[in-house]
Amino acid sequence: MTDVLLWLEEAALPSSIREGPHSVWAYPAVLTLHTFGLMVLVGLNAAVDLRLLGAGRQIPVASLTALFPLMWAGFWINVVTGALLFAADATTKAGSAMFLTKLTLVAFGAGILLAIGAEVERAGPVGMDVSRAGRRLAAASLLTWTAAVTAGRLLAYV
Amino acid sequence: MAVVNAAHLHLFLNHVPTVGLVLGVGLFLLALVRRQQVLERASYEVLFAIAVLTLPAYVTGLGAQAVLLDRADVSAAAIDAHQDAALLAFAGMQVTGGAAWLALWRLRRNLEAGPGVAGTVLLLAIVTLVLMTGAAAVGGEIRHPETRADDAVIASRGPMPVSSIGAFVTGQAWVWPAAETLHFIGLSLLFGVMAVINLRVLGMMKMVSFQALHRLLPWAVVGFAINLSTGTLFLASAPEQYAESVPFFWKTGLLAAGGGSLLYLTVADRPWAVDAGESAPAIDRAIATGALGLWVAVMYLGRMLPFLGTSF
Repeated sequence: MTDVLLWLEEAALPSSIREGPHSVWAYPAVLTLHTFGLMVLVGLNAAVDLRLLGAGRQIPVASLTALFPLMWAGFWINVVTGALLFAADATTKAGSAMFLTKLTLVAFGAGILLAIGAEVERAGPVGMDVSRAGRRLAAASLLTWTAAVTAGRLLAYV
Repeated sequence: MAVVNAAHLHLFLNHVPTVGLVLGVGLFLLALVRRQQVLERASYEVLFAIAVLTLPAYVTGLGAQAVLLDRADVSAAAIDAHQDAALLAFAGMQVTGGAAWLALWRLRRNLEAGPGVAGTVLLLAIVTLVLMTGAAAVGGEIRHPETRADDAVIASRGPMPVSSIGAFVTGQAWVWPAAETLHFIGLSLLFGVMAVINLRVLGMMKMVSFQALHRLLPWAVVGFAINLSTGTLFLASAPEQYAESVPFFWKTGLLAAGGGSLLYLTVADRPWAVDAGESAPAIDRAIATGALGLWVAVMYLGRMLPFLGTSF
């Protein structure tokens, strides 16, 4: 396992992001893209969750479907940039409880996002009401993504 | 030709909060006497705009301090006292601006601001005016020996929030990471709501009226408030990291523009009139594009503080 992580860490792309001649801009660029993906995914997701929980009741629930492709774009940007950031620091990150916590939370969050997407599609063109299950999903989603962001941010400190 | 530095900008901006507050409170009192809602609304707009401009006024003060610190003809005690007084006045101004924003948001929806909100704004504005005048007076003492008390007298006056905050943040290892985490959560909330509203103006989610989305604006303001508070904590506890930071300078400018964008979305007539199924006028689509770019740029400059600037 350690050999695999070491090989990954020393592979051409991760090491050039970390210490190559381009690392001066490459590492900050990857980090910025990761933050961009975060604010698109978690930000829009928060807006969707707040609507499902009762904020802005005049917003038709089905109109929220337009936001899902953007959220998934943010998600995939962060899968790619996250993989690069992981590879550049694989031996440390793989053993970090905080990192594994974050990955678990992100997986949970993605699952909830899928479920909320299905819930929103069910609402019908002018539906304004949110089922009890929808509200529970929204609350779980807010908590999960807040926890995921917290774990991710604390990775810089532990 | 002299280079324009933070001290120039600070001298240019530092009268805005004091004079603006007098104007805002004056307009409010006039609105009370003449019983005209249009004057009341104008007073809230002035107070909100002054709160926005107080941000660069405060931040350029840190840069001015860095420029002045090594000079023999200024009083270091007065600089410290001014920084303490300015932090309190800045905080008071931001709370006042937030209350004024709430009043504007309610008035836009054709609700009365309400005596509670209106009274709160007036009270906060008057308290802030007192704090601001105090900050301005001790700020003047930095460069004006004819009005200056002895250093010992200056140092013994008033509370010293800057050094207490600095000691608190450096003394407790968890404070900075916790504030950073909150800063990211606030950023997501602010950006998410701003993105939804500006994307609607650009033509997404056309089945939703602008007025329906206007109801979400307080959540963006909650995000903004979280980030203003945690940002102020960073600034107050480690001013040397930001005083001469180029990305932070631009971030401050863009944040002021972001405040303008928030005010526009809150009160302007054109976007408010965009009903379900309708397109927003080209000018508003242009403004929305700018607003989206602006918030992304604010994030980028913040993210670059450790790399292009002197923060960590």
